Parts: sequence; C-alpha cells; structure tokens
Amino acid sequence: MLQPELVRLGSSVKSCDEDCSSGSPREPSEDEEGNPFIFTPQLIHLHRDHELFEDGDIHRHLYLQDLYFSEADDQPALRVSEFACHISGCSAAFMSLEEYEHHYNSLHRNVCCSCRRSLPSARLLDIHIQEWHDSLFTILAQRQDMYQCLVEGCGQKFRTSTLRKDHLIRIHMYPPDFRFDKTKKETRTRQTKRQPQKDTDMEVVDDVCESEGVCEVMCDMPSNQPEHGDTMETHVGEEEAARMAKSASPEAHVHLSAAAHSSENTSTEPLKPRYSYRIPTTVCFGHSSVRGFRGGRGKRK
Amino acid sequence: MWRLNKVRHKAGRQCDSLEALKLKRREHEKALRQARRDRQLVSKRLLLNDDEDMPQVTMDTNSGEQDVVSLFLKLQHSGPEREAHLRTLSKVLRDPSAQLTFIKQENSMHLLVGFLTGSDATCRLHAVRCLHELSHSSHTNVSPACLPATPYLLTYLSGQSTKFTELCLYTLGNLCPDSDIVKEKLLAQGIIPALANCLENQSHNLAVVEAVGFTLSQFLQAKDAAEKIILAVLDSSLPSNLLSVLTSDPKFGLAPAIECAWCLHYLTCSSLNSMKDNRVLLAHGALLQCSSLVVSLGGAVAEGNKEEGMELFICPLLRCVGNLLSSCPGNDLSTQVGDVGIVVALCALLQAYLQTQPALARESAWVLNNLTAHSSAFCSALLDLNLVPGLIQLLPFSQGINTMILRILANIAHKKKEFCAQLAHRGLLSALCATLKMADQEMVTLSMDVLYMLVVSGPQVTYCSLLSWDNQTREPATVVETALTLGVPSLKVAEEFVRQGGLSLLEAIQYNSEGEIRRRATHLLEDHLVSYSSYCSDNNPCSSGNREASHVHL
Repeated sequence: MLQPELVRLGSSVKSCDEDCSSGSPREPSEDEEGNPFIFTPQLIHLHRDHELFEDGDIHRHLYLQDLYFSEADDQPALRVSEFACHISGCSAAFMSLEEYEHHYNSLHRNVCCSCRRSLPSARLLDIHIQEWHDSLFTILAQRQDMYQCLVEGCGQKFRTSTLRKDHLIRIHMYPPDFRFDKTKKETRTRQTKRQPQKDTDMEVVDDVCESEGVCEVMCDMPSNQPEHGDTMETHVGEEEAARMAKSASPEAHVHLSAAAHSSENTSTEPLKPRYSYRIPTTVCFGHSSVRGFRGGRGKRK
Repeated sequence: MWRLNKVRHKAGRQCDSLEALKLKRREHEKALRQARRDRQLVSKRLLLNDDEDMPQVTMDTNSGEQDVVSLFLKLQHSGPEREAHLRTLSKVLRDPSAQLTFIKQENSMHLLVGFLTGSDATCRLHAVRCLHELSHSSHTNVSPACLPATPYLLTYLSGQSTKFTELCLYTLGNLCPDSDIVKEKLLAQGIIPALANCLENQSHNLAVVEAVGFTLSQFLQAKDAAEKIILAVLDSSLPSNLLSVLTSDPKFGLAPAIECAWCLHYLTCSSLNSMKDNRVLLAHGALLQCSSLVVSLGGAVAEGNKEEGMELFICPLLRCVGNLLSSCPGNDLSTQVGDVGIVVALCALLQAYLQTQPALARESAWVLNNLTAHSSAFCSALLDLNLVPGLIQLLPFSQGINTMILRILANIAHKKKEFCAQLAHRGLLSALCATLKMADQEMVTLSMDVLYMLVVSGPQVTYCSLLSWDNQTREPATVVETALTLGVPSLKVAEEFVRQGGLSLLEAIQYNSEGEIRRRATHLLEDHLVSYSSYCSDNNPCSSGNREASHVHL
C-alpha cells in the first residue's frame, strides 16, 4: 500500500546505530552473493496527500462541515486479509486458512513434476512416476511383473497395465473408468505439441504463467489423449468443454463438473465396447509440483 | 464552538430519520474522497448566529433575491432603520442565489464595507455577518467580490470584541481557498503576522483560538505558495503558540486544540523540504510535546475514556509525531521523545481504534514503525513490556495494518539476534506460516524477509548434523566449509519452522508468480534450511530422503 516514491529513507539523518556514511543506507543485498533479502528498517515520511491519510482527512472535513459522526454510526469496516494460493496460474483466494489448506492439499500435492498431473496420494504418485517416467521400469517390465495393484495391501503385480486393470475391476470392484489409472501410451500422440518441459529446478514454467488460470494448463496438459481409433469429434468435444469451463470460473471444482459433463458425453458413445480409460482433458488436479522432486530431481539430464 | 453537540441536535430535528442523515453523509463522504483525490479537498465553516441552533432552511429563492434588491435599495438611504435592514440582509444572504444577486448589484460591496468600518458598532457586526454569509458561498464568483473588505477584516483581528473577531477570522478562512488571487492578496496584506498576533493576544479566549486555528489551517493547505506560507509561519510566533494551545485543559473543549493540531500537522508534512522545516519545529519542542500528549491520550483511551471526537485530536497528533520522527536525528531520539512509554500508548490506541477507526490504528502503527526503525531502545521496550503478542494478533487485518505491523516486527528482528529469538518465542513463527499464505504480495515478501532474519539469527550448527547429508552427491568437507560461509541457521528456529510445515510452504512459494518471492523461497530452502530437507512435509523421512536432499547445490 505504501507508494514507493513517498517512502523516504532517513539516510541523511540515520542514527549512530549504524554507520553514518553520507549517502545511501546500508543494504545487505549486495553483501552476500545473490542474497535476495533486502529489508532494512525505514523511516517513513508521509506527505500530506498520501493515501494513508485519506480516511483521517475525510473524517476531519466531515467534522468541519458539520457532518461528524460518532462511532455508533456506520463505520468503515475493518477488513481481514485474504489468503491466496501461491501456485502461479492458480488464482484461488480464500477467507480462511482452513480453506486455503484444503484447497492446497486437495489440488496441489502429490503432483508429478514431469507431466504436472496431480495424484490423490503419495503412493499413487510413486506408482505413476515409476510407470510413466522411469525408463528402468519399462525395461524391467518386459521381463517381469512390474505393474502393482493400486489397492494398498494387495501386493499383486502384473505383466501389463491392462491385466492390472482387469484385476482391479474383477477383484477389487473398481469402476472401468477409474480416473487414476490410465495407460501411458495414450499420451504419446500429444506430447510433441507440448512446449519443452523446463528443468523443474524451482523455476516456474513461463508458458503456464501466461495462462488465465488453471484451465489453460489443463488444455495444454498431455492428459487423456484420444485412444487409437477415437474419432476427432470426441477430442474436439473435450476441448470445447474446456473452453466452456474456462469462461465459467477459475475455480477448479467448476471445471471438474464441466469436465464430468463432457466425460458423460464421450463415454456414452455407442461404438465403444471396451472400457474408456481416459480422464477427460478438462480434469486437472493442479499445476506444478510440490513434491515434484520425485519426478524430476533424480533425473537430471 | 464545540460543534459536535450541534450536530446531534441537527440529526434529531432536521432530518426525517437517521437513515436519511446517514445516506446524505455517505454521499457527501464520497464527494469528499473524490475531491481529495483531485487535490481539491476544501471546507468552509459557517458560524451560526447566537439564536440559531442549526442553519436555517433556505427560503424561497425568488423572495430571497427580491429581498436583497429591496434591502440594498433601502440601505442606501440613511436613517435609524438601517440597522434593522442590515440585520435582515444578513439573514437573507444565507440563500445562495441571494448572494449572487447581491454581488451583482453595483457598489454593493462598497456599501457593505462602509458599514463595516462605520461608527455604528452594531452595524459593523451585522455587516461582518453579511460578509461571513457571503464567504461561505461555494460559488467561485463570490469570494473575489469580497476582496475590498479583507484589509479591514485583517485590521480588526487585533480588536477586542470576541464575536466580531471570530466572524472576521472565519470569513477570512472561508475566503482563502477559493482563488489564488484572494490568497495572494491576503498574504500580501499580512495575514500571517495578523494571525500570529491574534493568537498571542487572545490565547485566553478559546473561541478566538479555535477560529485562528481554522483560518491558519486553511492557508496551510494551500497547494501553491506552500513553501512561502510555511516559511512565514515558521518564522513567526505561531509554532510555539500553537503548541501551547495543545496542552490547554481539554475540559474546556477539544475544539481549539483540534484546530491547532491540524495546523501543526500541515506544517510537518506539506513542504517538499520538510526535513529542514521540521528542524525548526523540533527546536520548539514539538515532538516532545506531541509525544507526551499521545502518551496521556493513549493512557486515557486504555482506561476506557474514549471521549467523543477524541480521534479528531489524536489523528493530527499522531501524524505530527510520525513525520517529526522521520526528521529527527537518531541520537536525539531519547531527548525528543521522552521515555519509552509511548509505545504502550501507541499499542493501546491501536487496539482501541482497530474496529471503529482502522485508519487511526494504521497511523498508530506507522508511528511505531518510525520509532522502532533506528532505535534499539524502543524495540526492546516492545519486547520487555510484552506488547509483541498483541501486535502479532493484528496480523490478519488488511488495508495497510498488517504490512505496517510486520514492518515493526521486522524492525525489531533487524536489531539484534537476541530479539529474533524472543520474537520467535512469542509466536511470530506460526504467525508467519499464516502470513506467508496471504494474497497480499507485500505481506508475503515481508514475511520472508522476517523469516530469513529469524532463521539466520542463531549460533552455528555442529558438524555432525551436516554430515548426515546425501553422500552420493557431495564430499562432506566441501559441504561443511560452504555451509559455514553461508551462515548456518539457528537450530531452534529452523527446526520449529519445519515442524510447522514450513518446508512444504516454501516449496509451494517457489511457484509464485512474483520473481522476487520465488527467489527468496529458493534461497531459504537451499541455503538456510538445507539440513532439514530430508524432512518430508508429512514427516516421512526415509524413502524420499535421497531424492529430496539432492537438490542442494552449493
């Protein structure tokens, strides 16, 4: 709120607490290499027209004009700070810490830093990274049963993801379109379109920053691709749903509902006898990773 | 002249309902805010007649105009009825269109000045009343028309008649803001010395003192010639007399003190060269006086004596203290401000006015910032007097309050490492875990600066914990060496922060859209919380230990 130009450093009358050199105040920013913390105590002189003085001035002039009001009457409301999700591109704001925590824990945890997909638990994330981004896994999988059952405690492993899927459906009664188990090869067709993934070394990816919100991320994400043999129509339909959802609101849950809507449309297509394994492109569980070191860190190129 | 009472009557009788009054006030307030943004915020005061309790409802316009013309004609003939006509004229001139009609009459002002300076004292009084009504007009043509009267008004300031002097003063004060020509003329005619004399000679007369204060404040708010006016004021006896009014017994009414306090405020903040100007005021003991007033007012407020209208007085006092502090050489601080008890008063004001006048709370916080910026004594007073927890509780409140309070806490942390430990001890760390999640970028940045200071405030960590790193990536010796140069974090503070989930919070902050914020988070994680990187946010160290630790690069 303080306008920088009206904040004056009391440098020329600095106390003998600090070295009194004639000139600029000592700033620690240049002392250590790349130390970004530049706070120094500052004497703040406020000019008459400063905005900080506005309310008091108005009160004064109302008094002069015989319109003074005492406390009992309506008063300027005291406002509480909002909280906001830090993740660039996520513009969610909250009035309480609990809401913030819930949002964050639901949407931005357990995110794979390679493909920015969010998984609901650490275990599923681990499995995802293993199956999608670990080349060693792919090699081993050719010779042994590597695909773990997703149900914790089951412990069974399978040679292919399809076999695992069947197991989940038959034994554990999972729905055929379980959202957290998709095969990787569905994504490959889209991958070329994606902008090169920057090294996840704590950099915010700029292409994501430009987005208007979570939506665009979703569109760019190499999530569910039309399976081989899918018509272009479904693909387009999903895009439209994404655009529709984008204009509605930046809140993720709205997207989910819009996405759910679109997924309903696609999954009721009559020509598909096999299970639809896709997660609609409009479903996104958040952008960028928190424990994204899992996916990227170990894989420095 | 204590106006608050009058307003209450007004509210009761004039308006249909409280709602109507509130609505009118809200609209008025909006207009004032816009005027302030346009740097056109100006007010005039209407001194009511003794028999009036409130401004009379304006009469029918046409009759007002006709009355003016006929009265004017009648007044041109001598006779004993002149007094009565003049009195009627003064009432008629309450009406804006009558005012315009009057000044359009040829030689009307000349006539009025004649009465003003004539031998009949009652006529003088009525004439000045007429001028006063004219001065209150919002029409730009009216003030310049009154110029011929001003030299006489000025002369009468050294007179003895209270009511008359008051009217002269308010008339001059009302005329001042209307045009630069008027201002220049009044300045040339010596209004500043006249005001100084008036204040000096009539200091026992509170109604006059209030009027002087008002008129002076009108001049001090001038946009142009601000330097000239301020210089003239500082050269005169006004500063010391204004200051002495502040400490007059408030039982007789706060009104004069309010006006004088606002004058002082304008003196401390209007000029571009305020540093130099404020030295003059400091030499007069302005800071000492204002700060001791703040102490006594803060004490009164803390005891629950929140007199109505008190904030109209506290506000300019706070501003004087704040701005004078910024011009006060640091080593002079203790002599200029007196004892550290002022921090108690300021915290009391903060708490007392937080809900009802948040702007006042914000200004109190600003003064605290200026007090603590370069003084260890005030910082340690806040700690020793246990005022810090109260401050921390105010961190949720926005509109500039929390940023200012965080600055105060940062000022404290900046002084000494022991202060950092004490701050952490009093709950600042968990407060920071919340402020780091706020939407306000300034809060987030400040929070990280404070966190940094807390984290690096401790003694060096032992070698053993450093060697527990992932030894795939680095040789232990290099690690230790470099870590020492970086300034190893205080074990306790960092530990506590991590325990409260700080790591994952910082990791999230690394994806913030602001580069400055990202840099800070990265710096904290990589250079200062490094030995804790094996902690997962859900306290699950084993499996991801290796992967997470490997993000250290030195």
